Amino acid sequence: MQELLQQLVNGISWGSIYSLIALGYTMVYGILRFINFAHGDVYMVGAFVAYYSVFFLGLRSGGVAGALGALAVIALAMLAAAVLGVSIERLAYKPVRRQARLTALITAIGVSLFLENAGILAFGAEPKFFPQIIASKSLRLPGGAYVTTHQLLVLGGSLVLMVGLNLIVYRTKIGLGMRALSLNRDVANLMGVPTDRIIAFTFGLGSALAAAAGVLVALSNPRIDPLMGLLPGLKAFVAAVLGGIGSIPGAMVGGLLMGIAETLVSGYISSTYRDAIAFSILIVILLVRPAGLFGRAVTEKV
Amino acid sequence: MLEVQNLVVRYGGIEALHGISLRVEEGQIATLIGANGAGKTTCLRTISGLNRPAAGRIVLEGRDITHRSPHEIVGLGVIHVAEGRGVFADLTVRENLDLGAWRRKDRAGIARDRERVFELFPRLKERYHQSGGTLSGGEQQMLAIGRGLMADPRVLLLDEPSLGLAPVLVATIFEIIRTIHRSGATILLVEQNARMALRESDYAYVLETGRIVHAGPAAEVAQDPKVAEAYLGSG
Amino acid sequence: MKGRALLYQVGATLVLLAVLGLLDRFLPTFVNQYIIRILILSGINIMLAVSLNLINGFTGQFSLGHAGFMAIGGYTSAFFSIHAGPSIVQALGQSPQSAGAAGAVVLILGLAVGALCAAIAGLIIGIPTLRLRGDYLAIATLGMGEIIRVVILNIEAVGGARGLTNIPGYTTFFWVYLLVAITVIVNWNLVRSRHGRALLAVREDEVAAESLGVPTTKYKVLAFAVGAAFAGMAGSLFGHYLRYLNTNSFTFLKSFEVVIMVVLGGMGSITGSISAAILLTLLPEVLRPIKEYRMVLYALLLILLMILRPQGFFGSRELRLPLPAPWRARLARFARWVGPGEAGVTDEARAAAPGAAAVSAVPVVSLRAPAAGDRGALRREILRLEALTVAFGGLKAVADFDLLLRERDLVGLIGPNGAGKTTVFNAITGVYPPTAGRVILSGKDLGGLPPHRIAALGVARTFQNIRLFGQLSVLDNVRTACHLQAANTAWDAIWKTGAHRREEARTLGRARAMLRLMDLARLEDAPAAMLPYGLQRRLEIARALASGPKLLLLDEPAAGMNPQETAELMALIQRIRDEFGPAVLLVEHDMQVVMGICERVSVLDYGIRIAEGTPAEIRRHPKVIEAYLGPEGAAHA
Repeated sequence: MQELLQQLVNGISWGSIYSLIALGYTMVYGILRFINFAHGDVYMVGAFVAYYSVFFLGLRSGGVAGALGALAVIALAMLAAAVLGVSIERLAYKPVRRQARLTALITAIGVSLFLENAGILAFGAEPKFFPQIIASKSLRLPGGAYVTTHQLLVLGGSLVLMVGLNLIVYRTKIGLGMRALSLNRDVANLMGVPTDRIIAFTFGLGSALAAAAGVLVALSNPRIDPLMGLLPGLKAFVAAVLGGIGSIPGAMVGGLLMGIAETLVSGYISSTYRDAIAFSILIVILLVRPAGLFGRAVTEKV
Repeated sequence: MLEVQNLVVRYGGIEALHGISLRVEEGQIATLIGANGAGKTTCLRTISGLNRPAAGRIVLEGRDITHRSPHEIVGLGVIHVAEGRGVFADLTVRENLDLGAWRRKDRAGIARDRERVFELFPRLKERYHQSGGTLSGGEQQMLAIGRGLMADPRVLLLDEPSLGLAPVLVATIFEIIRTIHRSGATILLVEQNARMALRESDYAYVLETGRIVHAGPAAEVAQDPKVAEAYLGSG
Repeated sequence: MKGRALLYQVGATLVLLAVLGLLDRFLPTFVNQYIIRILILSGINIMLAVSLNLINGFTGQFSLGHAGFMAIGGYTSAFFSIHAGPSIVQALGQSPQSAGAAGAVVLILGLAVGALCAAIAGLIIGIPTLRLRGDYLAIATLGMGEIIRVVILNIEAVGGARGLTNIPGYTTFFWVYLLVAITVIVNWNLVRSRHGRALLAVREDEVAAESLGVPTTKYKVLAFAVGAAFAGMAGSLFGHYLRYLNTNSFTFLKSFEVVIMVVLGGMGSITGSISAAILLTLLPEVLRPIKEYRMVLYALLLILLMILRPQGFFGSRELRLPLPAPWRARLARFARWVGPGEAGVTDEARAAAPGAAAVSAVPVVSLRAPAAGDRGALRREILRLEALTVAFGGLKAVADFDLLLRERDLVGLIGPNGAGKTTVFNAITGVYPPTAGRVILSGKDLGGLPPHRIAALGVARTFQNIRLFGQLSVLDNVRTACHLQAANTAWDAIWKTGAHRREEARTLGRARAMLRLMDLARLEDAPAAMLPYGLQRRLEIARALASGPKLLLLDEPAAGMNPQETAELMALIQRIRDEFGPAVLLVEHDMQVVMGICERVSVLDYGIRIAEGTPAEIRRHPKVIEAYLGPEGAAHA
């Protein structure tokens, strides 16, 4: 029982990372019906921006200074990623918006390859180690499981960010515009919602979340390298599909489920199959219920 | 107020409008009637910026708005209430109405208009927090019109407000249109239900396969046998 | 004729074998091993690109899991060679170290094993993912490719994470390029046959393809299986060349590489895939000096390619060699007999095609044309709708609709917007199953049959929003409709048998005759999407007619036409009915058409029939007028 609890703690911790990344996928898909393959790499960029910021700002580890420092680099990473996301959208995706879906998908693959390899050029292929500015301690939970400060950081950080996102999407005007655009672009336009600006905002927002996820992970799992975004990106995508791609609550729930499933299988069945879990879930979802948990099936008009 | 000059529109490979011209004077209700496929919705969509014309001009109070984007045109006060209502089923009545006022910044004005919408459509106030999808067809039409009013329109483009509604509701909707008109609104009304439209309007244009074949004061057009022909063909 | 074809084919094969054999033997004396390596890797990439193009480019199914098929082929054949190979070699009297000819035998068997296993994987992966479209399919195939890789990674018998070593090195230049030739020829022949047209139809518009009788699911699976088989063989050659296999070579990055080759060359262009594969094998070598920047440049080039020239090198056309005309004709004639040429379509071949005279005598549409004075005689019942009801959720789009059509009837179906007219069509053609009631075609209940089966029973239609195969030529649009009437199998197509040639010539003749009839003959090579609107409509009707239907459904054929075009359309529809004798059901808004040519008109409003009668009766019918113009009473308040 204690072990199950531990697995759940671990699973939820990872799951919230997947949720943060999945939100970016789902928001962009909701408005543009486009899978941003390069999204996972923004997660990587976030981690690296934070890494260099730590040195640039001369941050120290431990205690309150450490916590403030962490906040600072998260903020910086989110800002940088938002700028990156908007730039990618303007430069690479907007020109192909009216083309066939396949063209856009391949462009996204190109952007992804670009980010990864530019990362290798800029940062070197060798992994770097993020300074531990938050000390690692274990806290015992009722029930016997342990949760580390890092995990608390991840959980807390993700929670704050997701609550923030919810506020933006459901309580602000711009969020209303985003939702309207994803439901019916023409009618949204007739309400005066400016498509281009909202799309740019969506990309920026999603990228910021992914970058935050990257930093949160780096603070607890210090090993970072330019290809670190590949696998989490794919898994987060699967999480988004699981929850129903285009659905924001779906992305959050999907991410958590994905994290828990992965941890449980890895713990109880076999860890070598860990990466295959995501893809197996994907196949099952696509065959059984392509719309996902919260999504709506779209039918073609004949 | 609003003038369309020699508008040519191509849509999906066809030339849907072959150079049409019409005007709506301030405070007037003009109606555009015609059979299905005649091009009425295409005309409205071009005015509101969703379609781009191949040739011709659209002029609002002397200003050329032909190539502006839809959200700019909304900002200028041309509000298009779409065919089939376009109510966001997943959003609440409140959110739908808020969307209508999306571009506006004057809180007081928005609140005032919201009250006005509630007066016209008490049902919307009752269902304020329900999602749009739970409303009946008639209520959705009311919501769509209400939403249009929330934008403080200078010109209101109404696309087939009676579509899919039972006769009793059609009468209600047209009564509301009359009320809105009486308060000074300028309206361009597109309708398949020719009789009701002609009854409510000041001026009428008859569209047949992309051309205006008849125009004049609504009362005269209503008496003209040619109108029936435009719909049901000549012998 | 058959003898000459066989002679050419055998001759060309021998020449090919000889050339490859000589190259294999003598090339190493002229170039070093490095160049040979590049040639071999290019060959393998050509096989991968061409086979993926079949799935992605020709059938329009975006597969991102091609590396998985390559892996399966590679590993299964390597396993076979390692474990079964030595026994076979010894049985043939040679030692495993210097296997020579016996090694070739093992390789061939290994290739077969690899191809078969990969094809089975293709079938398995193909079938379930077929319900998915576009992005979803891409992601599903990506996932499947990864699952395959992870599963192989966990099989200790093939080396697990360490990889599979000691694979006999049976791959030679000869074998690689022989298989390249086979891959290219098989794919080329397959594509230039009715099966290829079926694949293209699936890519262009599945709904329209189904309505012409093309079983879209079967063809998608076929494309996956064949594409997978060739990828598997490429994998086998790969494994037997490097003598070592590791799952790291088969990640989705490899799949992306192949996709990039296909996109760069042009989806739907075999010569494009070949060119791109060669280029992209050479490029890393050429860019070796700036190795670190290579991938970044690659990525940037890919992005720029999509923005500036998404169709790649050749789009969906093939490379046209800049030869003078007489040589081009000779090449075409030669190719026609031997392999890559198209049966019966080249310029000279038009006149000289065997049986050309016989072809024109073949009836375009094989229907029993009734005798002239037949109008009064009892005509057979073609379509009967009994209380047809189609509901979506709680909403009844069509409720309790009855209709009867006999041979040669020309009936109109009208009603205001949203009345349910197109839904009736969709119910008849099997797009939606009836919620209640029956659709009976010549006595047979169509309930639950899929669209392509209903089409095979003799129903054809046009669509409200024209659904032509835009990228295909006018001629090919019509030829696709003849799919059901031809009998050449895929096997026939690959080997270019006599049966294949005959059927293709027949189809060609039928299609051309139809185009002449509809006055579209001079446009036969034009891409359908380029046609002006009125001609597109006419082509859609021609296509529907070419399938030889006994029931023809026309959905708003006069939409967007001016009075002149409408008058021509009316004459055309009547002529079609008179000459070919189908029952015609027409949905229209244009009253000129309905009143002008329909003998009977049925009026729908909110899914319910409110009137039925002659056009004159309908015009005066109060309920009809009310439905269109609005209630009478309210007008005089």
